[in-house]
Amino acid sequence: MSEEKKKKGGFFGAVKEFVYGVAAHDSARFALKSRASMEHLFILITMGDMLGVPILPPYYSLRLLPYVVPQISTWKRRMLKEKDLTDGLA
Amino acid sequence: MNSVVVLILGLVVAFIGYRFYAKHIDAKVIKADPKRATPAKMYMDGVEFMPTSKNILFGYQFKSIAGAAPIIGPIIAIQWGWLPALIWILAGTFFIGWVQDYSSSMVAMRNDGASFGGLSHKLISPKARIILLAFIYFYLLLIAGAFGNVVVSTTIALKAAPMAWLLLTIGGILAGQMIYRWRKDIILTTIVCVIIAMAGIWLGSKAPSDSIIGTDLANSRWLWAIAAFVFCYFAAVLPIWRFALPINYVASYIVFLGLFFGIIGIFILHPDFTLPAYTGFSIKIGPIWPIMFVTIACGAISGWHSIVSSSGTARQLENELDARPVGGGVMFVEMMLALFALVIAGTIYASSAEYGAAIAKGPGGIFAAGVSKFLGAIGMPADLGRSYGSVMMIVLAITIMQLVIRFMRVATSELLSDISPVFRNPHVGTFIACILGMVLVLTGWWQYLWVLFGGANQLMASLALLLVTAWLMSEGRPSAWAFWPMIFMFITTIAALLYTSYSLLQKVITGAVKGEALIGNTLMGLVGFFLVIAALILGSEGMKALKRYRTAIKTQAAAAAKA
Repeated sequence: MSEEKKKKGGFFGAVKEFVYGVAAHDSARFALKSRASMEHLFILITMGDMLGVPILPPYYSLRLLPYVVPQISTWKRRMLKEKDLTDGLA
Repeated sequence: MNSVVVLILGLVVAFIGYRFYAKHIDAKVIKADPKRATPAKMYMDGVEFMPTSKNILFGYQFKSIAGAAPIIGPIIAIQWGWLPALIWILAGTFFIGWVQDYSSSMVAMRNDGASFGGLSHKLISPKARIILLAFIYFYLLLIAGAFGNVVVSTTIALKAAPMAWLLLTIGGILAGQMIYRWRKDIILTTIVCVIIAMAGIWLGSKAPSDSIIGTDLANSRWLWAIAAFVFCYFAAVLPIWRFALPINYVASYIVFLGLFFGIIGIFILHPDFTLPAYTGFSIKIGPIWPIMFVTIACGAISGWHSIVSSSGTARQLENELDARPVGGGVMFVEMMLALFALVIAGTIYASSAEYGAAIAKGPGGIFAAGVSKFLGAIGMPADLGRSYGSVMMIVLAITIMQLVIRFMRVATSELLSDISPVFRNPHVGTFIACILGMVLVLTGWWQYLWVLFGGANQLMASLALLLVTAWLMSEGRPSAWAFWPMIFMFITTIAALLYTSYSLLQKVITGAVKGEALIGNTLMGLVGFFLVIAALILGSEGMKALKRYRTAIKTQAAAAAKA
């Protein structure tokens, strides 16, 4: 959110954001995490083309590839990042 | 003393702490830089790392840390008198509480958003990581037991609570269905589901549990313990959008409105404290030092906050300057919540005898009676107010409890799946967590259980401060502001856990307890000793690391002097 927009929101904007933070931010984060885990599977099935080893028939893989490529860098970071038990709590 | 004076005192401490002490540390020691890219910006993945407005994070942090603990702690600790409790809440938050919350998020932010396992490996030693994670598992078990006990004692003490809890659950499940399946408007969903939950509060006051299922069942600890853990079971095994999250969503409105109007009620009624300022050094649950310092956990300092700050908030802060309002500021708000609970416990009973009779049944009844009194100031009938207070108490406890059971399910799978593939089954992990929690709830005396939970919680806090101190020393920054609070908390909590575990196991060895209490005392005593041993190993590893950093600093200084 830009500085200008923040200023426009003023006090009521801040209250609105606070209420969103209390009530719904958690839900939004979990929804994103669920989507990310689906995307992991999606990337996995197109992995063959990335490595040059055909797993799915190449026609379908090639059609899926454009959707996967933009996410590869963040996916790699998520997969390779060290995780521990506390990651599940927050 | 008048209750309004206490709240004003809290505001003054919060103002000085936030405006001067926290600002000094933020600007001069940590040197927060608005131009430095935070992990949320550097590693933005749209999932865990995501730049988020500080107002949203303020609400998120508050919701994540404000469970039942800041309310129950002061209600129990007032047994030593309201003055020691007041001093510890104010001084603990000022010198230790915000320091831990703020610095946990800063240390994670400056280390690429690493969580505590990774940080302890990097800053202390590989062994420290393994011990810390095992420690966290038992710490969570104590949370499940202590909070489960709160739910059980509240449903028994307040017969309006079960119906209110049931309708809240129905409202929450409906909210999940409306938002995610029927794609209904969020405002319409909120209005419908909050009205259902509110109707449950009203219905609870008109149809108490004993009038529906009979007195015996309504007073059965077994029944309500099973209900609480079945609730957590569903929260752990069902998709999170289906059960846990929408119930928390609807519940957050009830809690938020109750706290807001409750505090207004205090200002309208402004009652005087009726309980004594100081009762004595030693009471039934133990001496004021170290036991009171772990009984009031979250209202003064809590290890739980450090986990939320490091693994959750630190990955979403879009600006380093936001760490002070989010990490530190929310802790001062939590302090006000603890003061609210202290005012409730200290002002609603005419004498210590009345309070004693009420606390024997558990803290939930006291909280509900207080909410009823202060909501009464704005026109809510007393029986409706008690029903409202009871569901608030249950919500505050069970939202954390269901998260803990869900997490223990994952932890069981990760830790034990190599032994047997059966542990990979989510139902098995959840079942183990629920059974362990239920054993604690049904066999342990709730005040000892609370002290053990508080001890583990505070020990977690001192371990977080140890990590912060190690990081500060590794960077060559002043570290006394984190080191001395860590030493105080470490010694105090080790002493509290040893005292409680010894008291529990002594009763087992001398044969003073039999039956269920024998199991409860043995289990709690052993868990307490395990936590002490884990903490001592971690402390020893930590001290070695600090010595290493100190030597490095001296060597650097000597080299600089030579040059």
